[in-house]
Amino acid sequence: KQNLVYLHIDMDAFKLMKELRVNYDQEVHYLPKVTGLVFIESTVRISAKCRDAKVEDLWSLTSFFGYSTQTFVLAVNLLDRFLAMMRIQPKHLSCVSLSCLHMAAKVTEEECNLTPTDELIRIGQCRFTVSDLARMEKIVTEKLNFKSKAVTALTFLHLYHEIALSKETLSLEKLEAQLKACLCRIAFSKAKPSVLALALLRQEIEALQWEDMLEVAYYIQAHLKIANVELMLWSERVAQCLSDYASPECSKPNHRRLQWIVSRRTAQNLHSYRSVPELPTIPEGCWDESESEDSCEDMMSSGEESLSSSLGSDAEGSFFPPHLRRQKQRQYLFA
Amino acid sequence: MDTLSDLKMKEYKRSTLNELVDYVTVSRGYLTEQAYPEVVKMVSHNIFRTLPPSDSNEFDPEEDEPTLEASWPHLQLVYEFFIRFLESQEFQPSIAKKYIDQKFVLQLLELFDSEDPRERDYLKTVLHRIYGKFLGLRAFIRKQINNIFLRFVYETEHFNGVAELLEILGSIINGFALPLKAEHKQFLVKVLIPLHTVRSLSLFHAQLAYCIVQFLEKDPTLTEPVIRGLLKFWPKTCSQKEVMFLGELEEILDVIEPTQFVKIQEPLFKQISRCVSSPHFQVAERALYYWNNEYIMSLIEENSSVILPIMFASLYRISKEHWNPAIVALVYNVLKAFMEMNSTLFDELTATYKSDRQREKKKEKEREELWKKLEDLELKRGLRSDGIIPT
Repeated sequence: KQNLVYLHIDMDAFKLMKELRVNYDQEVHYLPKVTGLVFIESTVRISAKCRDAKVEDLWSLTSFFGYSTQTFVLAVNLLDRFLAMMRIQPKHLSCVSLSCLHMAAKVTEEECNLTPTDELIRIGQCRFTVSDLARMEKIVTEKLNFKSKAVTALTFLHLYHEIALSKETLSLEKLEAQLKACLCRIAFSKAKPSVLALALLRQEIEALQWEDMLEVAYYIQAHLKIANVELMLWSERVAQCLSDYASPECSKPNHRRLQWIVSRRTAQNLHSYRSVPELPTIPEGCWDESESEDSCEDMMSSGEESLSSSLGSDAEGSFFPPHLRRQKQRQYLFA
Repeated sequence: MDTLSDLKMKEYKRSTLNELVDYVTVSRGYLTEQAYPEVVKMVSHNIFRTLPPSDSNEFDPEEDEPTLEASWPHLQLVYEFFIRFLESQEFQPSIAKKYIDQKFVLQLLELFDSEDPRERDYLKTVLHRIYGKFLGLRAFIRKQINNIFLRFVYETEHFNGVAELLEILGSIINGFALPLKAEHKQFLVKVLIPLHTVRSLSLFHAQLAYCIVQFLEKDPTLTEPVIRGLLKFWPKTCSQKEVMFLGELEEILDVIEPTQFVKIQEPLFKQISRCVSSPHFQVAERALYYWNNEYIMSLIEENSSVILPIMFASLYRISKEHWNPAIVALVYNVLKAFMEMNSTLFDELTATYKSDRQREKKKEKEREELWKKLEDLELKRGLRSDGIIPT
């Protein structure tokens, strides 16, 4: 289709292409069962909304503990595969998702950066114990015949990015963030990782309007024999998801889910200012100072100078408003 | 004077005063013009006195027990009597003002320095009623309170009645007519804000904060100077005061108008970001708890693109470095709230933060390697057999 002459082919590119092929063949082993996913989407028990909310929590924890996107993507992959094959009770969803995160972290992260499980549970505000988590990990491992390195959309994204490097530099961080945004919706777990990653790549290229980069995308598509229909379908969905993600409208954070625990001393002092004062309000009259004649005049002569000296010479406006100086006239009226 | 002397006479006086109080409470038609000067004279003679100097020079109002007034059983009745006299339905300010004048008020104000909190409580009520009924004395009273506070802040840092005076001011501020007079605005900026700098702030902070918030409810345009004033005087070495300031700030934010909020959000959140990073866990905790306030959250949401970048670095850093686990858990809540508020910005900031950290780590590694190289060089030099240092 496209003229391959324009693509600079050397040993590196060759190796990359080979790697791409290998992963493509492998990816089918790491796909969650589609029927399972569809069931989740249509059911009320562990609904798509629950799963999506849990995945967002996983992202929060990933971010908080400084885990890599790789860990997150792998964790989501494990979670979806497990949920697609097992019917679990909603109350166990927390435990399952946290196990997946911990398992993924053990594979991807350095041991020194691994967060201990008790801290994971504490920060995640979960109700189960460390031994519960360990048991769940075992169950998940068994059910998934867990092999350490799954082929995920991120695998392909990295490969595509490297291939594209021969022409231009795309921001890998941005692509990873966009992938993360998509993975927060269960619908995208139905896509083949190679297709999802390619759809993301195309979106970015089209957004940047780099015409000649499209060549790379076509080349990859041809090499992996990805059907146009499939690619277009997922490209559309990705576009929709990304426009929501990038929208300037802020979504209201869900407050009720988080616990705010403060120390006793702080809690005691939280409402100390809200006490109602005992003294009744004294309304300021319009002609406050003019009701009483004599003492007021004394005040005016002595008061005006000393007040302006104590309040500073940059007092704005006259201290005694003009209408007070009319008070003499008023007296005669009532005399 | 020996407090145990002349017990019989004291008992007689006490029972007489008791009778007076009852009489004043239930009787009608007793307040003749002649009664006024007599009442005022009696009260003056009993309560106006030179206050005893405090026992020790270093009386710390926050820590030490106050010295109570020995003649309180009598004094209390005199105050009680005076208050009922003032509150009586038959009381006529136009007659009374001849006897309750500026000199009387001046002496009354001096008594507010009494160490006995019971006396100050009665004085508070007395002055409140006088302010309410004697319109001609109002400006004078305000001026005198003004002077007392200024002396307190800038000269002596000693006065026991600040809380009571502030309580009275609270009821006055509550009644201000709109638009606010320039005099009142000056008072806020030149007196009330500087009052925050005093060491013994904890004794009257609740009343002071109440006054400030009342001012802002009357005139929201005062918000900017008030908050800038608080930020200027933000405590740098006293954590207890910092916690008080944070409490007051939250009260102010509870009533702030969105347009005013936008004007001060940058300096405000720069300070909050510093508080959140404080090693003193109570300060950090109090600041983080702002995110549990729904109204403040709604303001933050509307302006997340400005606020998030200011807060981000501190939040991320303390999530890794703070010693207190409860703080770390609260930081998670705050970060999660930001994440949900504005995903794209959050991701951008995370990416920048990570790459900055990586660059720092790389620099550190290079520095360490450089030092190692220098050490190795030094070792090699030391091992030269001929011992001659090459030039």
